[in-house]
Amino acid sequence: MDTPGPDGYEPAVMTLIHPGEPAVETRVLSKSFGLGAKRIEAVRGVDITVQQGEIFGFLGPNGAGKTTTLRMLTTLIPIKAGQAFVAGVDVARRPREVRRRIGYVGQLGGADLAATGRESLILQGELYGASARQARDRANELIERLELSEFVDRIARTYSGGQRRRLEVALGIMHRPEVLFLDEPTTGLDPQNRANLWDQVRGLRAAGTTIFLTTHYLEEADALADRLAIIDKGRIVAEGTPGELKRKLAAATIVIEADLSPDELEALRAEVAVQPMVTAASLDGRTVRAEATDSAEALLAIATLLRSRRVPLKSIGLAQPSLDDVFLHETGRSLRDAGPVNGDGAR
Amino acid sequence: MTIGRETKLLFQRKLLEFFRQPVWVVVGLATPLLYLALFSPLLTSLAGGAGFARGSILDVFVPGILVLMAFGAGMGAGWIAIWELNTGVIERLSVTPVSRFALLLGTVLRDVVTFIVPALLVILAAIPFGFDPHWAGIVVMLVLLSLVTAIVSAWSGALGILLGDIGSLASIVTGLQLPLTLLAGILLPLSLAPGWMVMLAHLDPLYYAVEAARDLSAGRLASATVAEGFGVLGALTVVTLWWATRVYRRALA
Repeated sequence: MDTPGPDGYEPAVMTLIHPGEPAVETRVLSKSFGLGAKRIEAVRGVDITVQQGEIFGFLGPNGAGKTTTLRMLTTLIPIKAGQAFVAGVDVARRPREVRRRIGYVGQLGGADLAATGRESLILQGELYGASARQARDRANELIERLELSEFVDRIARTYSGGQRRRLEVALGIMHRPEVLFLDEPTTGLDPQNRANLWDQVRGLRAAGTTIFLTTHYLEEADALADRLAIIDKGRIVAEGTPGELKRKLAAATIVIEADLSPDELEALRAEVAVQPMVTAASLDGRTVRAEATDSAEALLAIATLLRSRRVPLKSIGLAQPSLDDVFLHETGRSLRDAGPVNGDGAR
Repeated sequence: MTIGRETKLLFQRKLLEFFRQPVWVVVGLATPLLYLALFSPLLTSLAGGAGFARGSILDVFVPGILVLMAFGAGMGAGWIAIWELNTGVIERLSVTPVSRFALLLGTVLRDVVTFIVPALLVILAAIPFGFDPHWAGIVVMLVLLSLVTAIVSAWSGALGILLGDIGSLASIVTGLQLPLTLLAGILLPLSLAPGWMVMLAHLDPLYYAVEAARDLSAGRLASATVAEGFGVLGALTVVTLWWATRVYRRALA
């Protein structure tokens, strides 16, 4: 039943999922923890669709419900409200079948620190039903492909953070899953290791694996995801390709830089916010950002305001929007300010 | 894949981990030998007195020490479970199709091995000092005491997963260890105890283990005490394994 393809990444199990059918699909998926006044609605009616062979990013601040959603999709938390299908299988009804088809690398990683990387890889393969020989061959293949050979025969306790993460990704794909779930995969990695991991994730996609990853790093979602959903307080607030999401805002953000004290900048922000066509204005360091429904009208009104106040202007222009602007536009706060909220780390 | 193969794979891994920790191996062997060396000499003057009517002091004392070892060998399972929760190992295994019963059994069997090997050493070490075991009885006794280890291991592991916190686990497990072992008459036979204590002892599963172990080591394989020991511990093993598997299933979905 184990039939490695030429590049070694093809799913080994006969696939139930039809071409064109989504790899992951949820319908009003919901989850709350606790009872009565302490009840926390962690996930509120999430509908997402992930196509086969894409890297899907799930972006949101800590506590937004990313991890809880992921844990439901990977069978770690039972689904009680709403529906989820992974690789064409109903997660609530056939969790065991889902487990055979997915790989998962959690935030904690799960490398077995008392064993060598190679021992862990082989055991992982065997637990998915491979023979000892098949598991050994597959381990060798991944050791070469993910460049683990330098450290794979040492006890995992001695690994650096980046080495451990590379082993954990290898563990997650030992059985050639159809969908690979990565929960905050680059948290705690230095920039070089992060870039390394991004390359590996792209390599997996090139070989046909669908990848679902959560992140609270804007750069990561922007650089890596083919499509993404932005989640805040348990709800999806936007979904699309990074380009689409940004283009929607492209003409609508005006950026003003001025040589003013923080108090004066705040006063300016308040005035900008009430100009015609301006829907919101925020302060980011020495920069005032205004969102407008009609950028030309708003730009004229703001220019007039600045002149009449004799503001020492450094620059004014239309912004290259970032995903943070998208988040700000949808939620009224900056992702960078949204900060950690309790409740997402729930087991 | 069969539960048998899964259990074998997980058991081998667990055993490997154990033997990579030389400290555990040394401590596991040192404690019972210390009891033999530093406690049993205190008993020699009691020989032939109440509770020690038959043969050597060690014939009463060694089975008690072995029950203590059987209990101790299973206790650590909860600590390891919490460590594996915190490092994500349990989560990673939960996402595989592996049977939850096999996950539990891998640890339980490892603990049974880490009981039996030092137990044999203690038995051999006690012989030159006058311990006179009945060998068929010893084999049956090790089977019985393996049930004790299995019960404690499954219970401690499941408790660790439920509590998720080393402090609370330690206070419950070590808090119960002392009354359970004292009431079982592990160090001194309960024939020395007042009536109320003997009554309480009948609520303690370890009491049945100790009584049966003393009979078995003396070669009384067919005694009612032995049958009672197997009855109580066998039933408790089934109940504990069933409960612990449920805890694994719930907590790991």
